[in-house]
Amino acid sequence: MSAPATEDSRPALAALPPEALAALDLFALGRQAASARDARWTGRGFFVRTRPPEGDGPEGDRIVRFPFKLGESDTERLDRLAETAAAAAPPFGIMPAPVGEPFGLDTLRCFALCRLALPRVAHVLADVTTLGPRLAQMAFGFGADELFAPIVAERALRLGANANNPSLTRKEAVTLIRGAGLVPCERMADGSLQEVAP
Amino acid sequence: MSLAGIRDKVRTGEPLTLEDGVALYEHPNLLEVGTLANEVRERLHGDRTFFNRNMHINATNVCEASCMFCSFARLKVGDAGAYTMSHEEAFGRLRARVAAADAITEIHIVNGLHPGLPFDYYTELLAGLKRIQPSIHLKAFTAVEIFYFAKKFAMPIADVLAALRAAGLDSLPGGGAEIFAARVRKKICDDKCTGDEWLDVHRTAHQMGLRSNCTMLYGTIETVEERVDHMLQLRALQDETGGFQTFIPLAFHPDNNALMKLPGPTGTEDLRTYAVARLMLNNIPHIKAYWIMLGVKTAQTALWFGADDLDGTVQEERIYHMAGAETPQVMSPAEIIRIIRNAGRAPVERDTLYNVVAEGAALASDKPFRRDVRRGLEVVS
Repeated sequence: MSAPATEDSRPALAALPPEALAALDLFALGRQAASARDARWTGRGFFVRTRPPEGDGPEGDRIVRFPFKLGESDTERLDRLAETAAAAAPPFGIMPAPVGEPFGLDTLRCFALCRLALPRVAHVLADVTTLGPRLAQMAFGFGADELFAPIVAERALRLGANANNPSLTRKEAVTLIRGAGLVPCERMADGSLQEVAP
Repeated sequence: MSLAGIRDKVRTGEPLTLEDGVALYEHPNLLEVGTLANEVRERLHGDRTFFNRNMHINATNVCEASCMFCSFARLKVGDAGAYTMSHEEAFGRLRARVAAADAITEIHIVNGLHPGLPFDYYTELLAGLKRIQPSIHLKAFTAVEIFYFAKKFAMPIADVLAALRAAGLDSLPGGGAEIFAARVRKKICDDKCTGDEWLDVHRTAHQMGLRSNCTMLYGTIETVEERVDHMLQLRALQDETGGFQTFIPLAFHPDNNALMKLPGPTGTEDLRTYAVARLMLNNIPHIKAYWIMLGVKTAQTALWFGADDLDGTVQEERIYHMAGAETPQVMSPAEIIRIIRNAGRAPVERDTLYNVVAEGAALASDKPFRRDVRRGLEVVS
């Protein structure tokens, strides 16, 4: 186990080569990814109430899913991310999408890699549907900056057949983002950003 | 106290104060707190991560207490959903496991405070289970139940424990502690024993040589100070007796109970609480991420935020599932092993008292498993 890093020994933010990224422990990787996110978005975390159909957004946006599955190495994932990183027109956002049931730590590493390997991609999205609200929130500690969930006016109790309903109220989305230590910020239909006051 | 100051204390083994605990809760960067908690976890246990093979028996959900966070209890016999198992029903659960050649080492028994059952219902429950499998470890009855028996059957706590022990009781689970602060108890669980009474039951058990666990229910109406104060009270008793094995933070589940307007703790709050607990409770050996209520993904992540135990295979948990827990009611040992290995940790099968049953190559392989896979709704962006 590598020596635990401290606040003061936080590595300077720099584009790290893939082999250096793959060698980082969980906490170092998380720190790097969160710093990269904050450098871009100054401590804000986003949610969107009404999403346009895919590929039809106000910023001409495209949100691409990045499928990952258990058992892959960081290097394999970084190889695939390199293709997206080199694209002539990088996507507006990337959304890690687990194939099969996601595991916690594996998923968090994957988020950090997405953030660090794709400096030209503005948003890394945490999908409440596939991750559940707990893990989606934790992803904000590992470089995610946007919550991806149906935002509804009211939701039914998560019981029985409704137990895994990914819908969140606006208040729940705000609570999750604020709880992750970020300033919740709504991206409006016209692309403007609106911070939510505490 | 800055995090650097707290880090120095942690490294020199100086116990943290209430103020330190609050500072850890309020530190803006969860990863910094997690790193420090992980340092302690690895100092104590390296990569070793414990689990056991167990089953739960919740023999009755009829309960005189009306705790607002509870979705399990029914106030009276005959209320909708109320049940009480006959001895034969409870014994049948164990016989089924034995018949399935399921090598469980522990039964965890927690019940409602049933006003109508005689004391020998409980002693016979323990004795009967031991007759079926004499080697089984019975971790039974929370301090709240023990205190209730003492009052109801007009016996000193030590006599209740001695009688149950003679019938087969091996250790006490940690439930019912909730939050010790009187302010919170008055609001959410006014009709169960006080914090001091809870601690007193465990003190008595420890003095008799019984081991026990301890818990904290977090995410209802308590403040951060009240959580840290709760941990400090546990630490003080542990200094006195040394009888606690494991601390288990229990996340409040808001569905289906009187507090369902509360949001419930979020994932980062869960991890923060595990990390703070590992740092505050320097004299309690283990911190358990109880996967039943955390969810498997959060429990696995907690293995890097201070936790070193995942609890067990658990058959038929009912209390949290009636509160909307989304987890399956059972995990196979192979599945637990796989989750631990995937976290970069080394699985160790333990018994209730943390004796090693198997580890390393002696453990069953982590072959693929089947589980109820969540069906996510397809959402188009």
